[in-house]
Amino acid sequence: MFEQLFSMIFKADFLFAVIRITAPILFAALGAVIAEKAGVVNIGLEGIMMISALFGVLFSFWTQSWVVGVIGAMIIGVLLGLLMGFFALKLKTDIILAGIAINMLGGGGTIFLLYMFTGMRGNTGSLVSPNILIPVVNIPLIKNIPILGEIISGHSVLTYIAFLFVFLMWVLLYKTSLGLNIRAVGENPNAASSVGVSVLRIKYIAIALSGAMAGLGGAFMSMYYSQGWNSGMVAGRGFIALAAQAMGRGEPVGAMLSSLLFGLAQALRTKVSGLQGVSSYLVSLIPYVVTVLGLVLYAISTIKKVKKHKDQEVKE
Amino acid sequence: MSFNTQGLYTILAAMIPTIFTGLAVCVMFSANQFNLAGEGSVMLGGFVSALVAIYLPMATGLHPVVSVLLGGLACGVIMLIPAVLKVKLGASEMVTSLMMNYIVMFIILHYLNFNFADRSKGATQSFPFESTALIPQMVEGNSKLSWGFVVALLFVVIVALFMYRTKWGYAIRMIGINQPFSKYSGMKVGATIILSQVIGGILSGIGGGIEVLGRYNTFLWRELPGYGWTGITIAILAKNNPIFVPFAAFFIAYLDKGCQLMSTYSDVPSEMIDIIQASIFLFFAAEQFLAKYRQKIVVKSTQLDLARRSEAATSKERGKA
Repeated sequence: MFEQLFSMIFKADFLFAVIRITAPILFAALGAVIAEKAGVVNIGLEGIMMISALFGVLFSFWTQSWVVGVIGAMIIGVLLGLLMGFFALKLKTDIILAGIAINMLGGGGTIFLLYMFTGMRGNTGSLVSPNILIPVVNIPLIKNIPILGEIISGHSVLTYIAFLFVFLMWVLLYKTSLGLNIRAVGENPNAASSVGVSVLRIKYIAIALSGAMAGLGGAFMSMYYSQGWNSGMVAGRGFIALAAQAMGRGEPVGAMLSSLLFGLAQALRTKVSGLQGVSSYLVSLIPYVVTVLGLVLYAISTIKKVKKHKDQEVKE
Repeated sequence: MSFNTQGLYTILAAMIPTIFTGLAVCVMFSANQFNLAGEGSVMLGGFVSALVAIYLPMATGLHPVVSVLLGGLACGVIMLIPAVLKVKLGASEMVTSLMMNYIVMFIILHYLNFNFADRSKGATQSFPFESTALIPQMVEGNSKLSWGFVVALLFVVIVALFMYRTKWGYAIRMIGINQPFSKYSGMKVGATIILSQVIGGILSGIGGGIEVLGRYNTFLWRELPGYGWTGITIAILAKNNPIFVPFAAFFIAYLDKGCQLMSTYSDVPSEMIDIIQASIFLFFAAEQFLAKYRQKIVVKSTQLDLARRSEAATSKERGKA
């Protein structure tokens, strides 16, 4: 059985699948990263993904253009982020509760909205045609490299954008003044406000960007991954993204690595579930168990670091 | 449509699991513990109760009680994971509890499919419960209003007394209001945080057990049942006060039934409830909603009051003069 498994894993198509599965989680995880950096817990990622996934398909169907669909999904994500921000920052709803409400909207509300707009129930079936799906790119030169080409080339445009955003997010957070403000607001809002940073404005910007990321993740899900919208589509990816953020220590690159771990676990699940004598349910557990373990390890390492620091202070 | 009692019974029956999850969330949120594992707990409580109901023969009166309690206990134990990780390591209970939901669900599905499935049925389900384990119905008909409803109301009273009349309940509420203060005044903060989540788990688990044994005669949940999330809405509507939980649960069950009827008699999908619920939820949780209006009312009444007083004072002076 294990031989079978290993021969499956060390194949180009498996690693290709890992990247494909990772992308939507990565988008949402980056959304979680930027929100968390500004001290906002965005638990509404799941709902934002659902809603923007739906609108991605609707916009692209109405205009017959996938670009409009993706941008529309992103804008919907931004609007939902701002809505959460409005309730959390202006009306003083607890941000976690605001997120839960957004998830409620994403769960059943999308089915209602789909029916209102198209009269369809539960999925977008007949709306989808190949020209409104996100196109696949074959990278010239790289696609000719034997194994690497098979793994890296031939993904959707948005997949590459997802990984590009890891870099852009890092630049935004660590190389721009906006990023500095965001981190300052997250670490110590009072200090930030005392030097003239508008804490409220920064938090709004962070949560809007977070929504935009989740929106792109949603568009990826409905317009590429599952080729259409259906009600059980996002399936906890928003929550996994939160976990990826926590496990990746709140850094873009860390979030990418832990997203890849989830991608790997899920790709493994689809592979293994075909094998005899393996329970697909137990394989499905892997990403979630890994998260909890990852959180534990992270917490232990932080505690150790703090202890070391204290010991050093005492010595000095 | 005229009023019918059968409809009312179904609404009351729908309240049974959500009263329990609502209470569970009340206890956990009162201590500021955003533990979202209510979903998983309901399913686990239902599953464990179902197993006891199928495989452990017992006397009629005792069987459902033991089944449900064991279901609750299992969830209490499971909740130790997010709680202890939070207290000992500072890991966010929100993320761990969300992951727990999926872990619990997949483990249950694994055992349901590979160890306990009744292969003679088309769908994946367990063997039927022993008839001794079923919770008796309160009324005739298909409303599924079991005596679990009375137990749920009983638990409302118990949890209310616990939260407002015991030392532990006080500690839970105080930690939610001001954790540093509780720590400095000598409360065992860590133990209390763990306690609140374990109690939350036990309550959700009991809710799941009662729902399964009161409504079905075999275990057939193949996904998370959703009562955990509804419980959060209910706790928000009840402002974390256990006494208000049944009213909030009734309101949500009533809305739900209304939406179902609407989708039967018109073309509007029943999922509209989620939009309504989310809106109510958001505005109820918003502390500053209508704050200006409230401020205006306060200012106005104070001004009136002042004016009246000064009037009274001047008239008194005139009287003297």
